[in-house]
Amino acid sequence: MQNVYTVKQVNAYIKNMFTQDFMLNRIYVKGEISNCKYHTSGHIYFSLKDQSGTIACVMFAGSRSGLSFRMQEGQQVIVLGSISVYERDGKYQLYAKEIILDGAGLLYEKFEKLKKDLEERGFFAPEYKQAIPKFAKKVGIVTAPTGAAVRDIINIASRRNPYVQLILYPALVQGEGAAKSIVNGINRLEEEEVDVIIVGRGGGSIEDLWAFNEEIVARAIFDCRVPIISAVGHETDYTIADYVSDLRAPTPSAAAELAVYEYMGTAEIMKEYERRLRRNMIQKIGMTRQISKQKELKLKMAHPRQKLNEKRQRLADLEQWIQMDFTKCLQSQKHKFAIYVEKMKGLSPLAKLSSGYSYVEDLSHTNLKSVKQVALEDKLRIYMTDGIVNATVTQIEEVTADGQ
Amino acid sequence: MGSKKTESLETLFETLDEVVQKLEKEEITLEESFILYQQGMELLKKCSETIDNVEKKVQLLDEKGEYHDF
Repeated sequence: MQNVYTVKQVNAYIKNMFTQDFMLNRIYVKGEISNCKYHTSGHIYFSLKDQSGTIACVMFAGSRSGLSFRMQEGQQVIVLGSISVYERDGKYQLYAKEIILDGAGLLYEKFEKLKKDLEERGFFAPEYKQAIPKFAKKVGIVTAPTGAAVRDIINIASRRNPYVQLILYPALVQGEGAAKSIVNGINRLEEEEVDVIIVGRGGGSIEDLWAFNEEIVARAIFDCRVPIISAVGHETDYTIADYVSDLRAPTPSAAAELAVYEYMGTAEIMKEYERRLRRNMIQKIGMTRQISKQKELKLKMAHPRQKLNEKRQRLADLEQWIQMDFTKCLQSQKHKFAIYVEKMKGLSPLAKLSSGYSYVEDLSHTNLKSVKQVALEDKLRIYMTDGIVNATVTQIEEVTADGQ
Repeated sequence: MGSKKTESLETLFETLDEVVQKLEKEEITLEESFILYQQGMELLKKCSETIDNVEKKVQLLDEKGEYHDF
């Protein structure tokens, strides 16, 4: 045994051969994009292929400036880059620096042609789209019995509403006979009179999804009297089936959400209806009671006894009023009287008498104010506080105002 | 399709809407409201029957039209 080399040595040797090759360091390669994956790191992994075979390609995040469009399966492109060896896998690949579109890929062309054709024939026309029932009881599913798509649909559907019957037609979704199998599924489920059918599969390359771009599938979807929701691949994948179907769901999970109504929400709606019915009934009864009470009160008010009582009340009021008026009047008269009494007191001659003055009159009761009114021997009456003196004039002396 | 089925939840809900709206009007008589209330409750019962609260197993339909458990 001579000349035994390690893997590392061989790989390094081959890699060195590639790097020294002038042509491989800067090369244009044309082909169709396949298995394209945009990695979260920013790197893009894809394959270029033609009839003869494929070559693995990678475009690192740092070279992304050389790509001005979103790569899609089936696109025909020209890639500028270098071919080198990835030693860990022992594989060579094309490290892309620039990628440009080289016309539409063959499948893509086919797709565009059929799409245009069917569109012109009215397969996509909105007036042929059937409404998806809001409350489907039976949901048909045409997809592969294994894989993420069917699991997603069943999971979501049973979570939303376990009372909805799911009927799965296990179909071939890629490769030979797939289109035929999908068509059979749609027809069988239509015969079963399901309320809505989900037709779809998980993501894949344009070749993987191709069955959904076949005309017989498009026709089966178009002819089906049961509304169909398509759910093929990922959000970005559009197939002919998506255009023909009554509703396109971006993913199989989304299709399940569109096809199966939420039980909790519906139960809540029913509860709300019940609440509204009860509330209205209670209100109505309450209102009727109120009205009957009002009527009763009105009737009571209209009774003659009530009228009589009212009159009685009025009478009592009037009586009291008169009483008050009378008392008030009496009071004021009493008051006036008291004032007069006081006034009289002030004017009384008796008061003067008590302070030492006397009142003199002759026998004809004339008040004597002057000596000229009397003569000698005239009889006089002198009033004092405690009695009367009868006197006789014995002397008259005139006194003038200045006292002489 | 659909003809063999009883009324769908959708139409039941529509009818319920009408019943409740009528009931909400003030000018109807007490007798009328009793009738509407009963209709509403009857409709709700039908809704529950339509939903058919029995958990369903996923059925597998083969090409011969025969059902199997999934």
